[in-house]
Amino acid sequence: MPEVVTVGAAWAVPAALLLGLVAVVAASADAVMVARRDGVDVRTGAIAPLAETARLLRQPRRVTPAADAPLWRVGRGGLLVAALLMVAVVPWGSWVPADLPVGVVWFNAVDVTVWAFVWLAGWGPNAAFSLVGAYRFLAQALAYELPLMFALTAPALAAGSLRVADVAAAQQGLWFAVWMPVAFAVYCLGVLGFAVWGPLAPPTGGDIAGGVLAEVSGPDRLLLLAGRYALLAAGAVFAVPLFLGGGAGPLLPGWLWVLVKALVLVVALVAVGRRLPALRPDRFLELGWMVLLPAVLLQVLVVALVVVL
Amino acid sequence: MDLRQRLVHLALRRPHALLVEVPGWWRTRVETERAMARRGWRPASSPAGADVLVVCGSPGADLGEVVDRVTDQLPGPRARVAATAPEEVATALDEAAARLADERAQRDDARDRTRADRADRADQGGDGGDDGGDDGGEDGGEDGGDDEDDGDSEMAPEGIPLAGSGPDRDGLEMDVLNVPLGPVLEHWPAGLVLRCVLQGDVVVEADVDVLAGGAAASPSATAAVTCDGAARALDLAGWGDAAAGVRRVRDLVLDGHHDQARRDLDRLAARVARSRVLRWSLRDLGRLDPAQARAHGLPDDAVGDVHDRLVAMLERARDGLAGRSDAAGDRSAVVEALPTLVHGLELAAVRLVVASHDPDTLGASRQERADA
Repeated sequence: MPEVVTVGAAWAVPAALLLGLVAVVAASADAVMVARRDGVDVRTGAIAPLAETARLLRQPRRVTPAADAPLWRVGRGGLLVAALLMVAVVPWGSWVPADLPVGVVWFNAVDVTVWAFVWLAGWGPNAAFSLVGAYRFLAQALAYELPLMFALTAPALAAGSLRVADVAAAQQGLWFAVWMPVAFAVYCLGVLGFAVWGPLAPPTGGDIAGGVLAEVSGPDRLLLLAGRYALLAAGAVFAVPLFLGGGAGPLLPGWLWVLVKALVLVVALVAVGRRLPALRPDRFLELGWMVLLPAVLLQVLVVALVVVL
Repeated sequence: MDLRQRLVHLALRRPHALLVEVPGWWRTRVETERAMARRGWRPASSPAGADVLVVCGSPGADLGEVVDRVTDQLPGPRARVAATAPEEVATALDEAAARLADERAQRDDARDRTRADRADRADQGGDGGDDGGDDGGEDGGEDGGDDEDDGDSEMAPEGIPLAGSGPDRDGLEMDVLNVPLGPVLEHWPAGLVLRCVLQGDVVVEADVDVLAGGAAASPSATAAVTCDGAARALDLAGWGDAAAGVRRVRDLVLDGHHDQARRDLDRLAARVARSRVLRWSLRDLGRLDPAQARAHGLPDDAVGDVHDRLVAMLERARDGLAGRSDAAGDRSAVVEALPTLVHGLELAAVRLVVASHDPDTLGASRQERADA
């Protein structure tokens, strides 16, 4: 069993800060790509997360008539909480905030809670477009969740453990991303899904006036937008021990390698997400169940055969 | 600089603006988009996400009323400005920025709104004021939600009637909701209102109207307009990158760089036609056969599905640029046909179908006026 040290509760703070850093880099990267596309000074893109925060902090909260205030609040705050819970089980090199023996299952359980949070955020304001966005997310989640679940089992199966540190340690020499590419690709699509990002952004689409985001302003909007980037970042961070060899790497300390790999992956997710058209929710279900699910099951079969032989 | 000032300064680096295009002021709206992009401003999708409302053109009475209501939904700090010619855009945006930066005026605005809001609620005799809300945001994304009262009128929490019900497409009883699409909606034809009756997110009935402007300005360069329409459809298909590319071509055409525009458009049109994801996503949506198209008086290139029409739109823009034919056709008949075209579709499909037909609302409103 590889050596990881469970650090004290206070160390959750640096872990959260690292997650925040990855999320801010993702937001900046996105704005820089837009700035470059529009031929504007890229520096305005780089400070976009800061400017956006300042802008939203100046706004008051918006209240709609007959809103379901408590549930709306739960939905808005939930995304950020889910992202933090996801990275709680990620080992940063040799230290980990929570060394759960079933870390992979934990991650999966938390990503399912995102279903509830996004739906509640759309249900809360009692407005048609928000609710349409909320149901779009459920339709989409129904399509990506099972493939994502099996994509998560592939590395765990190869490592023979559901403990995240064991999975990272099992990749001495060869990253799982290299020899289980289908599982890795499906995992990345799942991350785009629960972060409501790129081709899986229709729940917040411009065609329904921003959907889940249509009625929120001020700090509430900030929470939702930050939650989305945090989930994208959490997905990238969790991919590192699962598929990208964990903290293993020359020269740099383990935690820094985790950070570097997560940053590269999150920027790649942002860039790829921008380049693809949306996968419309009503068609995506067919893709999820007829293509992704069989493909990832085959991948798990291949992994199982490799492990047994 | 104290903290507050620094915050305002930072916030002003990235205001979000909601645009309202009055039919006939296409050029002004395009110039506003370009000026915004140059300044690093972002487009907003809903009033809740906007700091600035830019009215491009001079709206008629009906549209003006809607714009007032939308302005009320901006969370604030807010600024509403108008530009009635491309040359006025820069000044209008400067003014908006100055108004957003004026802390004192914004505070007064927020206080007045709270007061007006309280007075409103007192008038209605409602309990209201659950959190001393700063804002009386209306229901619905765009223009105040449903006003028709189909249900029992005594069952109206906070003045909003409950949804009535009707038989759905499977013969079951299902709630119906009146949701108007437009006239203030991102990626939507100028002045168009499609009053939809929804069951779930399926349109079971629709009725169309164009809210026209005052004296309309002259129509403009065809290839650029077509590019703009194609960009809109691409945005709705969730492909912002390609849409931005086509918009850049539009700008090149307007600036007179035709060679560069032609090269870029050829490349983009090929990229769009090649994309398998796009084809898979748009295939068979809103399919029309030639007989149906003729029955509605639609041009020949309205035949096919959304993907065919999108490709045809880019083809039309290329033809226009190459000076081959100027077969833009008359796209005002589409407006009348919309209720039939969107019947039975769900909202996302409705948006794509409307955009793929690229309706000419200015032409339609002129025709209506001529008929009257």
